[in-house]
Amino acid sequence: MAYKDKYSNDLGLTLGMLTLRIWLGCRAILTGIEKYAGTQNSDKDVLIDGATNAYGLTDTVTGKVYSFSNYHGVPVPLYDKFNSEPLIPTWGLNLFDTILGPALILLGLGVLFGIAQRISLFAMGLVYTSLTFGLILINQSSGVAWLGVHIIMVVMALALAKHNRFAVLKKW
Amino acid sequence: MNLKLPTLSRRDFLAKSTLGAGLVLGAPAVLRAKEAGAPTDDIRVGFIGCGKQHEVLFNAMVNIPGIRYVAACDIMKARVGRTFSTIKSRFDTKINRYLDAEEMLEKEELDAVFVSTPDFWHAPHTIMALEAGCDVYCEKMMSNTLEGARSMVAAMDRTGKLCQIGHQRRSNPRYRYTLEQLIQKEQICGQIVNINGQWNRALSSSQDIVSKPSILPDAETLRKAGFNTGADHELSLDELRHRFLNWRFYTDLSGGPISDLGAHQIDIFNWYLGCQPTSLMASGGRSYFKDREHFDNVMCIFDYDTPQGHVRASYQVLTTTSAGGGYYESFMGAEGTIIISEREAYTKIYKESGADSAKWDNMVRRGFLKKEAAGKAAGGADAIASYESAPPDEYALPGGLSKAPHQPHIENFLDTIRGNAKLTCDARHALESEAPIYWVNQAAESKETIFFTDEHLHT
Repeated sequence: MAYKDKYSNDLGLTLGMLTLRIWLGCRAILTGIEKYAGTQNSDKDVLIDGATNAYGLTDTVTGKVYSFSNYHGVPVPLYDKFNSEPLIPTWGLNLFDTILGPALILLGLGVLFGIAQRISLFAMGLVYTSLTFGLILINQSSGVAWLGVHIIMVVMALALAKHNRFAVLKKW
Repeated sequence: MNLKLPTLSRRDFLAKSTLGAGLVLGAPAVLRAKEAGAPTDDIRVGFIGCGKQHEVLFNAMVNIPGIRYVAACDIMKARVGRTFSTIKSRFDTKINRYLDAEEMLEKEELDAVFVSTPDFWHAPHTIMALEAGCDVYCEKMMSNTLEGARSMVAAMDRTGKLCQIGHQRRSNPRYRYTLEQLIQKEQICGQIVNINGQWNRALSSSQDIVSKPSILPDAETLRKAGFNTGADHELSLDELRHRFLNWRFYTDLSGGPISDLGAHQIDIFNWYLGCQPTSLMASGGRSYFKDREHFDNVMCIFDYDTPQGHVRASYQVLTTTSAGGGYYESFMGAEGTIIISEREAYTKIYKESGADSAKWDNMVRRGFLKKEAAGKAAGGADAIASYESAPPDEYALPGGLSKAPHQPHIENFLDTIRGNAKLTCDARHALESEAPIYWVNQAAESKETIFFTDEHLHT
């Protein structure tokens, strides 16, 4: 009992859990947001001797912008590969493509702020597992390994869930 | 064409012709000419020819304000219908459709007409439109014959109307900047000694054009439109339709690849050097497309006497290969070389190792040029030191064009109609530049050097 209490109150484990929450939360939120990213070109006048040139020569500046119209849940090259896989139905792929971005953002917020911590972490694990499923089929071993690291971190966070502090909703 | 006189509309022009000058002078209402420099007035535009080149022009016009699309004509009904639908969906405007240019010019009140018909129709359509009181933008080549082109200049002079020829590079800011700032003012090339230009086009882009027979004009329409010109026998419907779709292959209908593609670039040689060539040698052949009337591959060399010295300019148009850098014009001087193209990707500037580095660095600092890379020797075990030259540094233009390549040329035409600009390529200047090109096929056929005289080149 004394042993258990010692670990329940261990500051290191609490901070470890918090670190995992921050990492996994930020990772999921930013990955979700990036699915709305795109580029926008704008033209600016070329300056010669400090003044705008008289010919109308312009320099194209490419900037990064976010908008709903840029959204691609599954990047186009991967989408095409998944779409040609017999084990991935098109309707399922389209559904996944639609919900992946918002799901990552919502789950990321859930993990970061500690909202139903275990359920949020488990759901996040399922999302990463579903991504792994597709990558196995198209033989992207490095991507599978990369997602495997995410799964290990999710499992670590679940194992440390009893040390969770600073959570909005501790239940579930 | 330095001065753009106030223009009368077509209706007023006809009224003037009918009623006589005296009556016109006494009737102010008839003198409702569009005042030069009235930018709020929309320019009423009509199209003669609605094929591929028309589409290029139209796509370059859609972002230009102040245009009212009024009418279009083509002998192929489906093409006029497509133009109608495009304008309707883009501008919610219903234009009037015609199958006959003369009828369109007679019935419509137009300020400007865009001619993009086959080359052998350029002169008749342009002259018709000029005489109907319209300003004209006509695609290059001006005509399939030198006489046709000269008649266009005469019509422009006679009517006092504007006639812009579609050498669109003349209005391109990149080309103008390169000539005026880099070559003339800063003289970064030093003495230009050689010029080389090319348009290398793959076989896949040089094939016969085909179309659904059901939408093509019938034999009578095609004969009436002159597509049987020069034929030595009664042409079948299929032969007529082949000529209609592939008029660029026939000697009586066009000038062939040297005119279709080469004209744009040889025009740049003459414009940049500010003079006409003194002689021409050429070689050409039906080397791959043996059934075509025109040469499929042509190479030629022009000689120029410029105030800076003698210049040789070689040009090649190849329709059987795309390798070798696409299409560009290269001005090679003792201090630097400018390779310029309508495509930014093909444009490069090189500084010779012996040129004044301080001058070039200063130009980069001031924004005239961008430095891309220091010269790098190719190296390798097979390099023989005594054969090698020091590699030139690579530079780039300071900026590009953020519009469709044809848009500035059309803008220049419309601005000149409004009295706010001067044509960058009126028919006279275009002919001065095009005249030597009309002799290339003949020089290749005869395999003899042509030494140009006023007889060859006068406008």
